[in-house]
Amino acid sequence: MKKEIRSLLVANRGVPAVRIMHTCRDRKISTIAVYSTPDRLSHHVFMADKAVHIGEAPPAESYLNMDRLIRAAKDTGADAVHPGWGFLAENEEFAQRVIDAGLVWVGPSPDVIRMMGDKIEAKIIAGRANVPTIPGISNVDDPDRIRQWMRDEGVTFPIIIKASAGGGGKGMVKVEEDSQMSQAVAQARSEAKKAFGDDKLLVEKYIERGRHIEVQIVADEHGNVVHLFERECTLQRRNQKIIEEAPSPTLDDNLRQEICFTAVRLMREIGYSTAGTVEFIFDAHARRFYFLEVNTRLQVEHGITELITGLDIVGIMLDVSMGKRLPFNQSDIRPNRWALEVRLNAEDPKTFSPSFGTITRLQIPQGPGVRISSGAYEGADIPPYYDSLFMLLMSAGADREDAIRVMDRSLSRNLRVEGVKTLAPLLLSIIRHPAFISGEVSTRFIEEHMDELISRFRESTSEDDVLKIARYVAEISALGPQKWM
Amino acid sequence: MPIEFIKPGTLPGEIVKTVRNASGVFITSTGMRDAAQSDFKNRHRIYDLKTLAPHYDRMGLFSAECHGGARWHVGVMNRRESPFEEIDILRQLMPNVMLQTLIRETNLWGYRPYPRNVIEYVVSRVDIDVWRCFSFLNDVRNMRTVAEVVMRRGRLFQPAISFTQADWTTNEYYLGVVRDMVDLCGGVNEIILCIKDMAGVGSPKRIGSLVDAIKQAYPELVIQYHRHATDGLAMPALLAAAQAGAKILDAQEDSMTRFYGQAPILGLHAYLEESGIPVNIDRAEAEQAVQKARGWIGHYEWAESPFKGYDHTVTEHRMPGGAFPSSFEQAANGGFLHLMPAILQVMSLYNRIIRYFDVTPGSQITWVTCSGIVNRYDKERGVAGVKHVIDLLSRFVVEKNGEFEAMDKADQDELLGLFKTAPGDFKNLLLGGYGRLPMGWPPEWVYRSAFGEEWQAKLAGRKETSPLESVEEDNLDRLRLTLGEALCREPSQDEFILYLMHPKDAVEMIDFREKYGDAPLHLPTNVWREGLKRVGDKVEFDLRGKPYTIELLSIGGEHDGVIHVVIRMNNNTRVYEVQTPRAKKSEIRMAKGAGQIPAAINGNIWRIGNPERGAIKIGDIVHKGEEIANLEAMKMENTIVAPFDGQIVEVCVKLNETVQEGQLLFIIEQVAADKTKAPVSDLEEPVQ
Repeated sequence: MKKEIRSLLVANRGVPAVRIMHTCRDRKISTIAVYSTPDRLSHHVFMADKAVHIGEAPPAESYLNMDRLIRAAKDTGADAVHPGWGFLAENEEFAQRVIDAGLVWVGPSPDVIRMMGDKIEAKIIAGRANVPTIPGISNVDDPDRIRQWMRDEGVTFPIIIKASAGGGGKGMVKVEEDSQMSQAVAQARSEAKKAFGDDKLLVEKYIERGRHIEVQIVADEHGNVVHLFERECTLQRRNQKIIEEAPSPTLDDNLRQEICFTAVRLMREIGYSTAGTVEFIFDAHARRFYFLEVNTRLQVEHGITELITGLDIVGIMLDVSMGKRLPFNQSDIRPNRWALEVRLNAEDPKTFSPSFGTITRLQIPQGPGVRISSGAYEGADIPPYYDSLFMLLMSAGADREDAIRVMDRSLSRNLRVEGVKTLAPLLLSIIRHPAFISGEVSTRFIEEHMDELISRFRESTSEDDVLKIARYVAEISALGPQKWM
Repeated sequence: MPIEFIKPGTLPGEIVKTVRNASGVFITSTGMRDAAQSDFKNRHRIYDLKTLAPHYDRMGLFSAECHGGARWHVGVMNRRESPFEEIDILRQLMPNVMLQTLIRETNLWGYRPYPRNVIEYVVSRVDIDVWRCFSFLNDVRNMRTVAEVVMRRGRLFQPAISFTQADWTTNEYYLGVVRDMVDLCGGVNEIILCIKDMAGVGSPKRIGSLVDAIKQAYPELVIQYHRHATDGLAMPALLAAAQAGAKILDAQEDSMTRFYGQAPILGLHAYLEESGIPVNIDRAEAEQAVQKARGWIGHYEWAESPFKGYDHTVTEHRMPGGAFPSSFEQAANGGFLHLMPAILQVMSLYNRIIRYFDVTPGSQITWVTCSGIVNRYDKERGVAGVKHVIDLLSRFVVEKNGEFEAMDKADQDELLGLFKTAPGDFKNLLLGGYGRLPMGWPPEWVYRSAFGEEWQAKLAGRKETSPLESVEEDNLDRLRLTLGEALCREPSQDEFILYLMHPKDAVEMIDFREKYGDAPLHLPTNVWREGLKRVGDKVEFDLRGKPYTIELLSIGGEHDGVIHVVIRMNNNTRVYEVQTPRAKKSEIRMAKGAGQIPAAINGNIWRIGNPERGAIKIGDIVHKGEEIANLEAMKMENTIVAPFDGQIVEVCVKLNETVQEGQLLFIIEQVAADKTKAPVSDLEEPVQ
C-alpha cells in the first residue's frame, strides 16, 4: 500500500464536492473544502471538516488556481487531492503537481490524462487497441477518391465532408447518396476556401441519430481492469447530457458484452487506474458502435452505476489510489436494477437561460427508490460564475418502467424549488414522452421536440397557486388599498 | 300559484310562450350587475355575489342579469375577475337560472364600434342565455349582427328601446322603433322587448301609456320594463307598467338598494301582490338572498357614490343610473366636484340641442362634452363664466327655441365656439360614426362649431349607413398573434375575447393573474381590499380541493422603499419583500416586438459587435444573421444576431453589463420600414 489517506482535499465545489465528502465521511477520512469568495456559505464548505478560501469568483482565480489549491492541501496537512469532475479533473499538469507535492492524486496517471486528452492521439491509440473508430479519410478533394475509400473500408452513406482546417460547422456538408457527391465536394471546398483559406477536406462516416453509450471502468495499479457495465446518455441539450440511465435500453446482451469488453481492452492497453469512462457513439440502425473518447475522471452520472451495482465508485478510487487491489473480479459484478438520473440545472426549462439567485425553498424528493446528490441547501445562493447544476436526482427500480415511475413521482410530487428556475418541468415532460418511454431517442431528441415538450409542461400545482395568493395578501397587508381597486 | 322555472336551454319560442301565458309577472334580478353598477361603481365581487346564487336557483327568477355593461371592463380593470370565470361559477351554483347580459349593439362590451366579424366572433362564443341589446341612438339597423348570431344560437334576443322622457320621445316615435325591432327579428314570437329606462325618468303615467300603446300595436309581444330609481318614482312606474301589460320587471335585493339602481325586490313583490298582480318568485328565497347580501354589502361602502339621495331633476339632465357614481368620482378626482350642479344644468340644455339617449356610449359623450364646456368657462372666467354659459344656453334653448338665426351676432359667435374643444367621440357622433341620430342630424351651426373651417368637408363625409356597413373588418389572426406576443404564450379563447374588448386592460389583468393567481376569486372582500391587518389575523380557503391558511406574523418597517412581511402559509413561514411606491426603481427595459433585440438568456454582455467589424454603434447598418453582441453566462457564450437587415437605432446596454433574459439590447430599424397596424385602444372610462 502506497500511502494511507486520512485527510483529503476536494478541489471542487457543489455537487461533486459534496458527493466525494459523503464517501469520506463513510471512511472516516477528514475532508478539506476549498471555496471562492461567493461560495463562502456553500453547501460543500459546511459538509467538510475544514475549509480554505482560495480566491475570488472567477474560476481562474479560485477553482482553477493550482498554486492556491496545492498550498491549501499542504497547509491543512491533506494526504490526497480529489479533483471531482470539471475544473482541473482532466488536467495532467495539476495531477503532476499534486504528485510532485507529495500528495496522493485520486485519479489516473498524468500520462494517461495527457494521452486521452489529445483527441487525435486517443483515436490512434484506440485503433491500435482494435477499438472501432469512426471511419474517416483526410486530405481529399476528389469525389472519386472518396468513393474509392468508401469501397475499401466498406463505408456506407451518409457521410459528412468537413474542412480539414475548420470547425464551427463551416464547410460541413452531409452527403446522403452518391448523386449528391460531386456537388457536395464542390460546395465544401468552396466554403472551406472562403472560411479558412484552405480547401482541403476530410470525410467521415456520418452516424445518423446516434446514441451515446459509455462504459464505466474501474482499474487498479496491479493490472486489474473491470467494467461496471454501461450507461446511456443519449438525451442532451446543447451537447450536454441531462438524463442518463443504466443499463442502456438500446443494447442487447451480445452487444453489451462486446462494448464493455472493448472498453476494458482499451483501458488495459493504456494502463488506466482508478475510475474512468469510455464513450462510444452507437449507430442503432447498423447496430455498430464507434469510439468517441475516454473521460479520465469520475463522471457526473456515476451514481446510476452505483445504484445498479451496489458499489461506491468514489470509495474504489480512494482504495486504488492508496495502492489497494480491486476487491472483486469481473464475474462478481452483477447489476440487478435499472437506474435513471436527471440533472437539475438552475436554468429556464424553455430557453436554458441560466437562473441564478437564492434557492428560497427546497423540498427534496423522498420515498422508495430515490437517491439525491445535492450541492446546495435551502437558502443557498447559486452564483453566476459556475456550472448551473445544483442537484442530481436518481431513481432505481427492478426494471426500466419502475425506475421511470419513481422518477416521475420525484419530479412531479416531491420536488419543490423556489427562487431559481430549474429544468424540472422539461425533465418531467421528457420522461413522460412516448418516445422516451419506448427508448427510441437520439442525441437530437430534445432540440427536435422542444415545442412539443414545452407544450406538455404540467400546469402549476395548487401550492404554486396559493403562493401567488399569499404574495398578494402580503403586498396588500403592507401597502393597504390600492388606487387601481 | 306554483312558481314557474325557465331553465337555461329553453328555446326562445318556449320562453316567450311561458311568460306570455303566465297569470302574473316575472322578475329579473339585477343584483349581480346593475345594482353594483348604479350605486357601487361595479365593485361587487363574484366572491360575494355567488352567495346569492343558491337562492336565485330556487327563487323562480326570469333571469339573473350578471354580465355585460361596464361590469366587464371594471372586472378586468379593478376587480381583476374575468366575466368568463363569473359565468362558470354561476353556472355551477345556479344551473336553473338563465344568465342575462347587457350588450351594446355595435360597441358590445367595449367602447368603439366593432366590425361585423368581431361581433360575430364574440357573440357566438359567450355562454349567455338572455341577450339584452340596446342602441343609444335607437338605431335598430345596428342590432342586426348581434340579433342574427344570438337567434341562430337558439338563445333569447331581447332588443331594448332606450327610453327617455322628452317632448320628442312620443309613443309614435317608439312604435316606429318597436316596428323596426319586430321586423328585424321576424315577428314577436321569439323575442322579448325591453323598455330600458336607464336614467329612471319615466313617470308612472308615461310608462303606462307607452306599454299600452305597444301592447295595442303588438298584443302578442312580451314586454320587460327595466327602470332605475333615480327620480324616486320607481315603484309606481313599475306597477303602472305591469298594469298596462308588461310581463317582466327588473328588481334587486333590498339590502343592496341605494338610490340609482333598481327597485327593491321584496317591496316590489308586496306592492304588486297587494295590487292584485301575482309575482313569480319564491318570497322566502328572495328574503334569504336579501339577508345574504346584507352580510357583505358593508364591505363596499368605499365604493358608494359621494352624491347621495334621489334626484328628480334627473328628468332634466338624464344622467343614467350607472353614470352617477362614476361621474361624481371623476369630478372629485379632477377637482371640479363643485361644478357638478352647473354640469348637470348644461347637460339638461345640451340634450335639447343634440338629441340622442344618455346611455353608453352616449352618456360618456354627453358627460365629457358638457363637463369640458363648464370646465373651460370656469378656467377662463371663473364662476361668472360658468353662469354666463348657462345663461347663453338657456337663452338659446328656452327663449329662442333653439333657433340659431334668432340669436344676436355675439351669441352666435360664442355658440360657434362652444364645441371647438369637444371630444373626438362627439365629432364622430356628428359624422354618423355610431349610426343615425333618432331625430335626425343636429343643425348646421353645430358642425361649424365642432369642425371650424373644415365643417363643410366633414359634413360631406357624414355616413348615413350603420357602422356595421362601414367599419372595416379586423384581422383576428393578427390580433391574436399580437396578444400572444404580449403574453409570450398562446392566449386562450376567453383571453382573446377580453383583449378584443379592452386590449390594454386585458393584458394588464392577465399579467396580474399570472402574478397573483386566483386571489380575486378566493379572498374575502375585506382581505382583498385591505389585506390582513393585525398580527395573528388569518384567512382560510380551499383551493383545488385542499385547505389553506394564510396568517400574518409581522409587517416590518419600511427601509429604502421595502417592507418585509412575514406570513405563515399552512404553518410554513415565508418572508415577502414588498416594494412600496418609494422603492428605487431600477427600471429594466424589456424588448417588445420586431426590431427590439432581447437578451436570449441572463448573463453578461462581454462584447458588443463582433471580432470582424469591432464594436457596433448607433447608425451602423447590420445584416441579417450578423453577430451584434455576445453574452456570457455560466461559462457559455451566446451569440446575439441581427434578425434582419437594418440600421442600429439604439444600443441599450453597456459593455460588461449584466442583463436579464428578455432585456432590450438593441433597437434596429428595418431599411424598408413595414408599419404594422397598431392595435385598437380603449377610448373612455366606463359608465352606463
